[in-house]
Amino acid sequence: MLTGVSPHGQGQETTFAQMVADAFGVDIDDVTVAHGDTAIVPSGIGTFGSRGTTVGGPALMMSVVKLQDKIKKIASTMMEAPPDQVTFVNRTVALASDPSKSIPLQQVIDAAYGYKTPIPGVEPGLDATSFYEPSACTFPFGTHVAVVEVDPQTGKITFLKYVAVDDCGKILSPLLVEGQVHGGIAQGIAQALYEEVVYDESGQFVTATFMDYAVPKADMLPHYDLGSTVTPSPVNSLGVKGVGEAGTIGSTPCTYAAVMDALKPFGIRDLTMPLKPEKSGPRSATRKRRRGLQDVSSII
Amino acid sequence: MFPASFDYHRATSVKDALSMLKQFGDDAKLLSGGHSLIPMMKLRLAQPSHLIDIGAGREMSGIREEGGNIVIGGATVHAAIETSTVVNQKLGLLSECAHVIGDVQVRNRGTTGGSLAHADSAADYPAAVLALDAEIIAEGESGKRTLKAEHFFVDLFTTAMQPGEILTAVSFAPIPQNGGYAYIKHRQPASGFALVGIAALVTMKGAYFDKVRIGVTGLAAKAFRATAVENALSGKGRDAIEAAAMHATDGIDPLGDIHAGPDFRAELARVYTRRALEQAASRAKGR
Repeated sequence: MLTGVSPHGQGQETTFAQMVADAFGVDIDDVTVAHGDTAIVPSGIGTFGSRGTTVGGPALMMSVVKLQDKIKKIASTMMEAPPDQVTFVNRTVALASDPSKSIPLQQVIDAAYGYKTPIPGVEPGLDATSFYEPSACTFPFGTHVAVVEVDPQTGKITFLKYVAVDDCGKILSPLLVEGQVHGGIAQGIAQALYEEVVYDESGQFVTATFMDYAVPKADMLPHYDLGSTVTPSPVNSLGVKGVGEAGTIGSTPCTYAAVMDALKPFGIRDLTMPLKPEKSGPRSATRKRRRGLQDVSSII
Repeated sequence: MFPASFDYHRATSVKDALSMLKQFGDDAKLLSGGHSLIPMMKLRLAQPSHLIDIGAGREMSGIREEGGNIVIGGATVHAAIETSTVVNQKLGLLSECAHVIGDVQVRNRGTTGGSLAHADSAADYPAAVLALDAEIIAEGESGKRTLKAEHFFVDLFTTAMQPGEILTAVSFAPIPQNGGYAYIKHRQPASGFALVGIAALVTMKGAYFDKVRIGVTGLAAKAFRATAVENALSGKGRDAIEAAAMHATDGIDPLGDIHAGPDFRAELARVYTRRALEQAASRAKGR
């Protein structure tokens, strides 16, 4: 399986291999996914904007169907059965009506590439290339809820609960979808709470290393309670929708909103991100006046 | 970034390292866990021509009991201290401190001696060794000498050690059976260093504080003992903590950076001093 939708961490090597394996009744390890080499796949643009599976997936399925049809045609001649009776099971092609009648898939492949094609007039070989242009965007959606606690004396923000329910249509690889949501939430929380590019007054870049640019570590992030609803997209044959951005889109505003909600009683309505403890902590004159916070009166 | 080029030397013993130090002089730096030195070299804030690796020899590594004290070799990694039964039982404050240094990778490589000798203003250990009133053992050509923790930290990245000396061990008297302690820090979100770290060690006589020692790190150019807080608490009960903790920043010019300005840092120091004392007092036995 060659693709121009090159993943760089999103895991389409696995998703695409799963799709091919399911389509031809073979093991996932039988499938080799090659990507990232413009000498073998000149176009495809890559994976970004939640497009990997929604654009690459349908293109792959178009090629899969072409090959399934051709294999069925060749196999039906070899097995003397109608093509619509041919199914793909355990690395064999078998008759739907009588699965005990089967021949190894490899035998059909060999025949397709063989010295003499089983069916006169059918082009030898078993490969197919497809290009797919989506007719419209897919619209994944979801809801993220964060419950946070702010220590009014130190500004330290602690997550008490984080729930995310996303709808990315039909889920092909549950583990990868979950991984995409996890990574996205981490990035989004980082934007809300931690990550910041800072230049000093003389133009010196002061967050040039990870000693000062705060990428969150695992213990700086909450446990994620994840759920999903499945509303298949009508835009593509797979019913899939993008998921790469779901986490980032939900987590930044919901984290920010939760912190601001916690700070509302202290008269704080807006702060710029990231919400560093110095901002969310006891600082403003408004807060000084609040009951129970006398001990912070020395702060501006 | 890449460090400037340097020659690497592996010392097999303290004696070996001392003779190399003498040979290379100011052009040499001692390399232990490398967790402070190497980043500085990569930023070219440090450009030593010679690195003398003292982490390889086992002579300086390990935790042993000696005449009632616990002696920790300078090249002992944080993780060994964090997980040591002896340290946990007799120097719980140090275990608690080691447990929150950096992350697992840092704790597996970084060393006690390296951290103390480097004297980063935001390192965790300095607060603990001050509160534990530790003795730091430095070895030079003319032999060993012992430095009291409270005199050890002189300024930013500056200690009372002399050029040509190696920090070979730290000696601690065990925490009294009835002692209570706490190390609380506010982490810098990127590096994990302490924006403020407070180590408190107390003993109680009935409901009253007997001995109180507080080490503060992260707040100023060097770690220090909050003696004004200690004095304000001596002989008082727990209800005196809140007022006493306000003295944590007495006479201090707090540091400020993008992660926390001076005023916020000072406020954190007062809040964490109060919390550390509350926790230490509640852990102390003998009421």
